[in-house]
Amino acid sequence: MSSFITRRRLMQSTIAGAGALALGTPYGPAVFGQEATPGSITIPDSAGLLPTDDITFRWIDSGDLKALFYTEFHAAYQEAHPNITIQYDPLPWSEINQIVPLGVQSGDAHDIFAMPEDVPSAQAVAEGWVAPLDDIIPDFAAWKERFPLGSFMDGVHVFDGKTYTFPQTSSKRYWTMMFYNTAHLEQAGYDPESERLTWDQYREAARKITEQGQGQYYGVVFGGQSTGRFGTFVRNFGRMAGASAGGSLGFEDIDWRTGEFVYTSDEYLAAIDLLVGLQADGSIFPGSMSLNDAEAWSQFPQGIAGMILEGPWVIPQWQRENPDFSFGLASQPVPNSGDPIPMTYEETGSNQLWVYSGSPYKNVAGDMLSYIGSVEGQVAIMAATKGFLRALVPEAAEIAQASVPLDPYAGEALALYDEQLRLGPMVPVRNPAASQVALERRPLTPDLGQLVQGILSGQIDDVPAAMEDLQSRANAELERAITAAQDAGAEVSRDDFIFSNWDPTAEYTAENYQ
Amino acid sequence: MGLGVIMAIGTVQPADTLADQGRPASGRTWRQRVWTARWCYLFMLPNLVLAAMFTFYPTVMSWYFAFLDWSGFTSDKEWVGLANFREIMDDSFFWDAYWRSFQFMLVAVPIQVVLALVVALILNDSAYKLGPFFRTVFFLPVVTSSAIIGIVMTFVFSPFNGPINKALLNTGLADRPVDFLGDPDTALWTVAGVWIWKWFGITMIYWLAALQVVPQDLYEAARLDGANRWSLHKDITLPMVFPFAVVIVLITVVGSLNVFGLVQTMTAGGPFFASEVMEVYIYRNAFGESGIPRLGYASAAALFFGLTVLGLSLLQGWGLKKANDARSQMKQA
Repeated sequence: MSSFITRRRLMQSTIAGAGALALGTPYGPAVFGQEATPGSITIPDSAGLLPTDDITFRWIDSGDLKALFYTEFHAAYQEAHPNITIQYDPLPWSEINQIVPLGVQSGDAHDIFAMPEDVPSAQAVAEGWVAPLDDIIPDFAAWKERFPLGSFMDGVHVFDGKTYTFPQTSSKRYWTMMFYNTAHLEQAGYDPESERLTWDQYREAARKITEQGQGQYYGVVFGGQSTGRFGTFVRNFGRMAGASAGGSLGFEDIDWRTGEFVYTSDEYLAAIDLLVGLQADGSIFPGSMSLNDAEAWSQFPQGIAGMILEGPWVIPQWQRENPDFSFGLASQPVPNSGDPIPMTYEETGSNQLWVYSGSPYKNVAGDMLSYIGSVEGQVAIMAATKGFLRALVPEAAEIAQASVPLDPYAGEALALYDEQLRLGPMVPVRNPAASQVALERRPLTPDLGQLVQGILSGQIDDVPAAMEDLQSRANAELERAITAAQDAGAEVSRDDFIFSNWDPTAEYTAENYQ
Repeated sequence: MGLGVIMAIGTVQPADTLADQGRPASGRTWRQRVWTARWCYLFMLPNLVLAAMFTFYPTVMSWYFAFLDWSGFTSDKEWVGLANFREIMDDSFFWDAYWRSFQFMLVAVPIQVVLALVVALILNDSAYKLGPFFRTVFFLPVVTSSAIIGIVMTFVFSPFNGPINKALLNTGLADRPVDFLGDPDTALWTVAGVWIWKWFGITMIYWLAALQVVPQDLYEAARLDGANRWSLHKDITLPMVFPFAVVIVLITVVGSLNVFGLVQTMTAGGPFFASEVMEVYIYRNAFGESGIPRLGYASAAALFFGLTVLGLSLLQGWGLKKANDARSQMKQA
C-alpha cells in the first residue's frame, strides 16, 4: 500500500481538495470540470421582455453539485440569446460572504447571487438588497403553483406577501453517510451495504482495519480541523439513537417537544464516547486533527482509511479524479439496540438564489429562474447532476427518475434520505417575526464541534461538565437573543421554540402548524 | 522599512550636522521649499494615495467600528460606547489569545535574533566564499507567500508520510508519529519554528547591514594586538552592533505579532484554540465563526491589540534614538 500512497499523490489529491475548497463550499467540491453540452437543454422562448443589446449577466454562487447543471444551462441560454453573456462566478462561501455585501453597498452586486451565510434573508429583504420574484418571473402565479404545497414559507422564501426566492432543490440530505473503501472493509470481513454497521461494529471494524493496515492505513479519517464536522457527527448519531432534536434560526439541538436543548442527553454523550473510543483504539487516521474536511475526503481515495462519514458531494469528484477507486455507500452506523430514529431536517430548500434589487437585468434573471423552476428545468437539474440534486417539483422528480440515467450512488443516497430523514418544525414558518432572533444570535464559543475537538485533543477531560456548560450557555444565548429581538420590536418568545405536537418519526407538515 | 532604519543608524551623522539639516533654509518660504522638492513629493504621491485608501482609512474606520454593535453589512449601526471593550475584558478566549501572541513572541524572537546574528557573522567573513549563495538560500523563504509555506508545511509535519515524522521514526527518535499540528502541546511551537525559518533571512540581512558599519581598521588593529576571533567579536563586533540590536529586536518583535497567514493555514488556531493568536481571534470574530459577524467587537479587540503593538513601536522609536546617541558617542570616542 505504501508504494502507491506516496506523499506526492497525497499532495495532489489534497491540492485538488483545497482547490475544491477554494472554489466551492467548505463541505463540497466546486465545479467538477464537466464540459458544457449545449443542446442537451432547450431554452424555451421567453415570455418576458429581454434586452436586445449585448449585455453581461453576472451570477455568483458556491458552485458545488449545482455547477454541473449551471455549466450546461448557461451555455444553452447563451446559445439561445447570443447577445447575453453570462459571467458565472462559483466561489467559496468565505468569498461570497464578503463579495455580495460589498457589491450591494457599492451598487454593483451580481445580478443573481447566493445569500451570504451570515446574512439572514429577512435582513437582506429589509435592507432592500433583493427584488421580489412576483414582479420578474413571467406568469408568476402559475409558475409558483407547480411546487408542492408548503414549499414557500413565510420568513424563509416569502416576506410581507412577496416571494423573494424559491427552493430550487430539496435540502433533504445528510452529511454523515458512510463511504467505505471496499477492499479494506472486505478484508476486515464487513459489508456495510448489505448489513448496516452498529456503533459497536463500526468501532470494531475501524480497529480491525487499523490492525490490518499496519500503519499504512487506518480505520477512519475525519477532517478534524473543520470542527463543525465533529458537531454533525455527534448530532446525527445522537439523534438517530433517540435524542430527537432539530434546529432553526441558527440554534441547533432543540427538542421541539419541550423547547430544551439536548446537549446533556445520554445519546449525545454516548456519541462522543464512541469518538473517544475510536481514538483510544488508535483507529483514527493520524493527523486527522489538522486536516480540514475537504482535505480528508479528497485523500480518502488514496486508501488512507477504511471509512469516512460524508455527504453526497464527494462522489462525483471521486468518480472523476479516481475512477479506479472502489468505494461503497451505506447508512451512517446505527444504534446498537432499538430501531434507528429518523433524523430531522429543515426543508428550506437548497441552492436558493436571489435577484439583486439594483440589477438592470431583472427580466433576464426572471426568465432564467422561470426555467429553473419549470418541470423541464427541474428535470434538467436532476439529469445534469445524475440525481445528486433532487427536484422539488414532484412531476419533474417522477420524469427524471423514470427517464434520466441516475448515478447508482445517487439512487442509494436518495433512498437513505427517504428512510432516515423527516421534515421538522421551523420556527419562522409559524412566527415570521421570530427571524429577528437569528439577527441577534451570537455564536456559542466553544460550540459542540469545538468541544469535541477539545475532548479528542485531550484539552477537556470532564465531558459531562463540558456538555452541561454548553447546555447552559445555549440556553442563556437563546434567552438573550430573544430578549434582544423583543427589544428590536419583534413579537417572539421562548414558546415559539416549542412544538408540542412534534413526532420525530413523522413529517411535520403545514397542517401541524395549525 | 526595517532595513531603512538599520541603514539610517549606519549613516548617522554628527549632531551638529543633523541640526543644520533640520534648520529652515534662511529666507525660504514653506512653498519655496516644497517647490524645490516637488519631484520627491510627486513620486511619493501614488504611494501616499494607496496608503491613505488601504491603510489609513481602514485603520481609522476600525477605531470608529470598535464603538459600534455592528455586523459589517447592515445599515443599522448601534453606538455602544465602551461596551465592546468591557466584553473583551471578560472574554477568556481574548486573553488566552492575547497572552499566546506574547508567548509566541517571547520564544520566537530571541531564537531568531541570536541565530540570525551567528549566521550573519559567519557570512560576513570575506574569507567565506559561499557567503552570497547562502545569503540567497536563507532569504528565499522571506519572499515566499506565508499561505503557500503554511500549506506545504502541513505536509512536511504530517504524521502520515510527512518527512519530519519519517526521519524521527527512521532514526529511532520517536517510536510513533508525532502529530505536530494536531497536538495542543506542539501546535503553536511548530508554527513558531516555521515562522522563525521563514523570516530568518530578513533578520540576517538586518544584521549583515549592521555589520557593514563596523570599521575594518578596528579589526586590523585588534589582530595586530593578537586578538583571536572570539575576542574580535566579543570586544569589537558586539559592542559596535549593540545599538542595532535594539532596533532589530523591536522590528522582529512587531513581526512576530503578525503571524496570521501561517497560523491560519497550518492550524486555523486549533486544536481547540491551542494556537489561536490575536489575529486569528480577531478574524474568527469578524468573519470566521457561524452567526452574525461582530465587526464592532472584533475591531475593539484589534484596537486593543493594536495599541499594544503601537506601544512596542514607540519603544522602537525610543530604542532608535538611544541607538543613535550611543553610536554617536562611540564614533566620537
